[in-house]
Amino acid sequence: MADKSSDPLAMWHTMLGEMEKNYNAFATQAMTSPEFSKVMNQVGGVTAGAQKQFGDLMEKYLVAMNLPSRAQVVSLGERLHAIEGQLNEITALLRQVHHNSGAPDDGYGAPRPPRTKRPPSEGDPK
Amino acid sequence: MNPRPGLDFASIPERIQTEVQRAIQRSIKGVEYIASSGPTPGETPKDVILSRGTMQLYHYRPLADELYRIPLLIVMATTNRGYILDLAPGQSLVEFLIKRGFDVYMLDWTAPKPEEKSLRMEDYVLGFIPDCIKAVQRDSGESDVNIIGYCFGGVLSIMYASIFAGGPLKNLVCFTTPIDFREMKLFQSFSDRRYFDVDRLVDSIGNVPPEMIVTSFDMLRPAARAMSQVQLWENIWNDGYVKSYRMMDKWGADTLPLAGEYFRAITKDLMWDNKLYNDTMSVGGRAVDLSKITVPILHAMAEHDHIVPYEAAKHLIAKVGSADKEEVILKGGHVSLVAGANAVKRLWPKLESWLSKRSI
Repeated sequence: MADKSSDPLAMWHTMLGEMEKNYNAFATQAMTSPEFSKVMNQVGGVTAGAQKQFGDLMEKYLVAMNLPSRAQVVSLGERLHAIEGQLNEITALLRQVHHNSGAPDDGYGAPRPPRTKRPPSEGDPK
Repeated sequence: MNPRPGLDFASIPERIQTEVQRAIQRSIKGVEYIASSGPTPGETPKDVILSRGTMQLYHYRPLADELYRIPLLIVMATTNRGYILDLAPGQSLVEFLIKRGFDVYMLDWTAPKPEEKSLRMEDYVLGFIPDCIKAVQRDSGESDVNIIGYCFGGVLSIMYASIFAGGPLKNLVCFTTPIDFREMKLFQSFSDRRYFDVDRLVDSIGNVPPEMIVTSFDMLRPAARAMSQVQLWENIWNDGYVKSYRMMDKWGADTLPLAGEYFRAITKDLMWDNKLYNDTMSVGGRAVDLSKITVPILHAMAEHDHIVPYEAAKHLIAKVGSADKEEVILKGGHVSLVAGANAVKRLWPKLESWLSKRSI
């Protein structure tokens, strides 16, 4: 096998790894400065504000076009989600009733394994 | 001219042949990569047993003939999807645990809706977790419950464990759980109280968008994304590598928004005032005193964790009041600690060994 110090591919990988490490270290140092934090948060604040204003504008536009607004779609989604949640709870209750009845089933309702497992002793095969 | 020492000329034709074959494979697989949608993670059979807004509680169907007595609830970090712990058969911590006889539940999160922007820390610690515990007790028929908390899921879990110190929690496992938020240097810089107006942000946009969270994670290692693309291209001939890459990449991009009020509390109480470390944290008026945690606890941390550095996590074990407590520092990063080939060899066996003795 070729020596890593003279293998062009190994050298390439080492170079890439070093580049990444150095760049990350440099960037990390730069980003911990208060100046970076100030600029980042100024830009972030402006962007978030602009996004919010754009969202509000779009909402008004959709209402004017007689299209469902986001709030209405979200409300529908919420109601569906609530129905899904109730269905899940009903399913869980049915499973519980089925499980307690001891009736056999080949699906989820099958009796669960007994809770009798003991930890393997040291050296036991897994 | 003498050949350079160490250069094996005899291997050069073979190397060239391998590289040519890989180059051809790269072209073919590169097209496949672009054209296909990628593997689907999170496929271990499970049932949703409780669902309320952003909260989902799964129960994974048992695969062993016998179960340990105490059921196990995994509390996932609120920024990320739980399928990182269930990537694919053979690479799934959940599958590993259920095959070893643990009865596994997971508290996972979906994106909070705009209407859920008012969810507060107390909704998570005093509402979602206790409700899930009750559902686990009801579903399993057992009164005791063990918890694994991953990253911020660990933070929520220790707050819960401290406030509900009387039970029913029996054992607690934390993965990479930060306590001292001053040591999360870059996050500190991003949220510097002199420049970061969290009130303005939350009041104007409600929930904090996932793009903002992904960007802040990416900024912790700004070169990593570009380098991962280079590595992908180099290894695109390797189906196993590509599958793992795609699943990790999908998971990384699948970051969740954070509920506005919850984000405000994290920023003010933890990032700014470091209340958990300073023992001044309270949730819904109830003090979080880590010394009240007396259940057996294991804290697993990663040696090269760039998100939660060791310095931020190391105080947990010192602060809890448990007599039976242990911390392990394993090779790897924030994600490779729990998922991927290294986790299979390092964390998973340690977890099984620690938890099995305490789950009977």
